[in-house]
Amino acid sequence: MASADRPQRVFEGEQSLSDTNVFVSLTYDELDASKAMARVKSPKAGAVVLFAGCTRDSFNSKTVTHLAYSTYAPLALRTLLAIAKDIHRQYELVAIAITHRLGRVDIGEESILIAISAPHRKAGWTAGEECLERVKDRVEIWKEEWFEDGGIWRSNRDGAAGVPVAEERS
Amino acid sequence: MYYPSSAVTQEVMSAPKAPPGRFTLLYFAAASSFTRRQHDFLVAPLPLAQLYDELEKSYAGIKEQVLSSCALTLNLDYVDPEEEASKGEKGAVIQPGDEVAIIPPVSAG
Repeated sequence: MASADRPQRVFEGEQSLSDTNVFVSLTYDELDASKAMARVKSPKAGAVVLFAGCTRDSFNSKTVTHLAYSTYAPLALRTLLAIAKDIHRQYELVAIAITHRLGRVDIGEESILIAISAPHRKAGWTAGEECLERVKDRVEIWKEEWFEDGGIWRSNRDGAAGVPVAEERS
Repeated sequence: MYYPSSAVTQEVMSAPKAPPGRFTLLYFAAASSFTRRQHDFLVAPLPLAQLYDELEKSYAGIKEQVLSSCALTLNLDYVDPEEEASKGEKGAVIQPGDEVAIIPPVSAG
């Protein structure tokens, strides 16, 4: 049995899918910005844009102690790859890499890294923003927000607090 | 209502294989909080259109409180129970060994 402080790992290391110049992955380990950038750097790219989503210490002024992410890994990877390939094609990028963290993420740590390389900066900036919005909208990953007095499932769709995180029976 | 922060939470395990004659149904996030389970093994074959009614028998209130805001996948492809119901006998039927998952509203990022 795992506690909320140490959510059980479904796998070790990193699970990933890739296509030509497109890489997506999931990991329970701390994210590494240098590694993300290295995955997309190229002599063809005049710009590398790196987005790091970090955990915030409050939601609607309520103190958040930490977050915990869970996922349906095979489906989340498939959806991430579809989004990354689409963004890569649409913005004529050199390369794109997305890594989402799972399990407990403490305040101030990164939960997602999106690294994009493009011939010119404008396509990179725009692609990064669109990519994040699509990930938040579609990828099968769920965030538990933990407060000082308990946890709650968050929904990106309506911003509403969902069902309380209940004790597991099985 | 909040549960104490000491409440136990678990990631869904990589799905265990269903016994013969059954399929795996996976619960995530709010769905797993409601059922207090990671998965069930249900009897197959089962018309997809009947899945939510089957679940309501085991977990009273799940249709209104959880399933109404969830999507559904069958072997990693999204399916619409209402659309399958409208096809009558030609609607999708869940087979033994299939993996079905209830997908609550996501919150990646």
